Amino acid sequence: MTADHVTAAAGADTAIPHLAPDWLVRTEVGLCPCGCIGRRRKGTAVAKTLQGGADLVRHAVFSDDAASRAGLLQRIDARVKVVSLLGLLVVAAFVRTLPVLAGMYVAAVLVAMASGLSVRFFLARVWLFVPVFTGIVVLPATLNLVTPGRIVVPLGTWFGGQVGLTSEGLESAGLIVMRVALSISLVVLLTATTPWSRILAALRSLFLPATVVLVLSMAYRYLFHLLTSVTDMYTARRARTVGADSEVRSSRRFVAASAGALFGKSHALSEEVYLAMVARGYRGDARLMQPARLRITDVLWCVACLAVALLVVWSDGVVG
Amino acid sequence: MHIPDGYLSPQTCAVMYGAAAPFWMTAARRVRTIVKTRFVPLLGLGAAYCFLVMMFNVPIPDGTTAHALGGVLVAVLLGPWAAVMAVTVALAIQALFFGDGGVLVFGANCFNMAVVMPFVGYGTYRLLARHQALTSRRRALAAGIGAYVGINAAALCAAIEFGLQPELFYKTSAAGAHVPLYSPFHLSQSIPAMLGAHLLVAGVVELALTAGVIAYLQRANVPLLRINHPAVPEADAQLTPVEPSPRVCGLLLGLAAMLALVPLGLVATGGAFGENTPAQLDLRKYGLHAVPAGLEHYSDFWSHSLLPGYDFKQGSHPSIGYYTSALVGTLLILAVGFGTFRFVARVRQRRTVQIPARR
Repeated sequence: MTADHVTAAAGADTAIPHLAPDWLVRTEVGLCPCGCIGRRRKGTAVAKTLQGGADLVRHAVFSDDAASRAGLLQRIDARVKVVSLLGLLVVAAFVRTLPVLAGMYVAAVLVAMASGLSVRFFLARVWLFVPVFTGIVVLPATLNLVTPGRIVVPLGTWFGGQVGLTSEGLESAGLIVMRVALSISLVVLLTATTPWSRILAALRSLFLPATVVLVLSMAYRYLFHLLTSVTDMYTARRARTVGADSEVRSSRRFVAASAGALFGKSHALSEEVYLAMVARGYRGDARLMQPARLRITDVLWCVACLAVALLVVWSDGVVG
Repeated sequence: MHIPDGYLSPQTCAVMYGAAAPFWMTAARRVRTIVKTRFVPLLGLGAAYCFLVMMFNVPIPDGTTAHALGGVLVAVLLGPWAAVMAVTVALAIQALFFGDGGVLVFGANCFNMAVVMPFVGYGTYRLLARHQALTSRRRALAAGIGAYVGINAAALCAAIEFGLQPELFYKTSAAGAHVPLYSPFHLSQSIPAMLGAHLLVAGVVELALTAGVIAYLQRANVPLLRINHPAVPEADAQLTPVEPSPRVCGLLLGLAAMLALVPLGLVATGGAFGENTPAQLDLRKYGLHAVPAGLEHYSDFWSHSLLPGYDFKQGSHPSIGYYTSALVGTLLILAVGFGTFRFVARVRQRRTVQIPARR
């Protein structure tokens, strides 16, 4: 470990100087473009979509920051990371005991610290999501109405039957919460320490066809371009609105119209991009960068992951 | 509806990857044969659009907002096969880059939102928008209803995937009870929970956005609707009048499928509310002390039927009798339906002949 790795690891839970401005990388987690994660706040649709757009850009800048930092996982080849973390994800999915899952989670947090990720970010990313979605979903499952078994916390009677939390329900809830947390952490470990272009190159050299990788990278590239159009439309709308824009019908019409206009823009853009590609000699075949050769650290990391996987499988058998 | 990792067993995930894979391959092949070298930019921008549509906040009356998925919208605009690819790529970016939706369950998420939703929604849309001009209001509404049906079909698939987990994957605790390893809710709980939310809120949001976008394009940018509807006339006046022809083939196929499912009825035991034998009525369950006099009296009031109890005589050849009853019943209903249809058609024909005669 070099000197700057030590400082990165030691300073992981304190403030790390970001390349991006601070207001852009606030600790508030804005994860979900679909609404199933995160807090539901009241507010106008226009303001929220603008906020969502800002969150998207902030997320992109943040992960670029993290990926360019010096750390353990940043030194590993992207292909190796994809395969090893995917393998651990599968192993985690098969684990049947709570202590083993918890142990794997602690190991993931340690690796995150060694990779220079802020522990606060790493924990918040998982535990802001888990209570909101998984916690609420899983809570009813601890009742004997869903998971029958031995009642350990009686809550009273309902329609003549006893109601309470069962030990089976609690164990099952613990398993699912821990498994969700661990799975998210493993994916975050990969995506937060690897630039998007490297992930794509890794997927290409592993199994994805070149055209699909090209579509993925183009979608990602123009996502931000089109986002500018959306932000422009919404900022203009906000600037034209006096007072609270609370009329549901008119703002729904605006949302539909802006989505329609966006489709027009994206289709015109795809035509222009296509012509520009043809002008530069594109004939329908995709060429991508050749990946670098594997180094000794990559091999060591592979061996370590394999050892962890075997340990997990063995200890799961012993505990369970 | 983005399922995170940890809710489905790895076995289910593998099956769902297998279920989605043929659609991915067919979609890639079909889209490529149509758009050729435009494949990459068209789908790349389509996926980016799809991603952004999922980000749009649609206001709902309670003062908050909700998101739409846009799968059916893209299917109406670009065709269902292009929608499969575009939604898949958008979901991949969400899963890999934003951690929204799992990686192992990616196949399941794609099957629900990139395959079931566009195809069911687009099928419904095509059915409702048949013989409609490109700018007709009914076409926009059909797209909305298609989106509503599509998202609910996708939610039903997700609910079934959830609900199968506790039945198939569990371990046994020390007390001998089952401890579910993945999603703990049974089908009887997961289906109402998922469908309730989607029938009431998410489906309506999807309907509003999809119908709104199509209506906007009808007003402002008809050429964009031409991409997937090259031959549809633009206004009602240009429509060629179509004689409504009964799709006898499809009808008969559906009937045949239902006839093939007839043995399912043999599996069921007992009768509902003691319909045939009042003695079997579970009195305590309904808080009764005796069989109601009316039920007792009228249950064997009419015993002159051709096939009593869907059988020849009581219990002589149960399965053959059951099949015969199904066949006779179907033929009778067909005959009555056909007769009514002919009668109505004749009356209408007479009317249309009479009106010019009066003038």
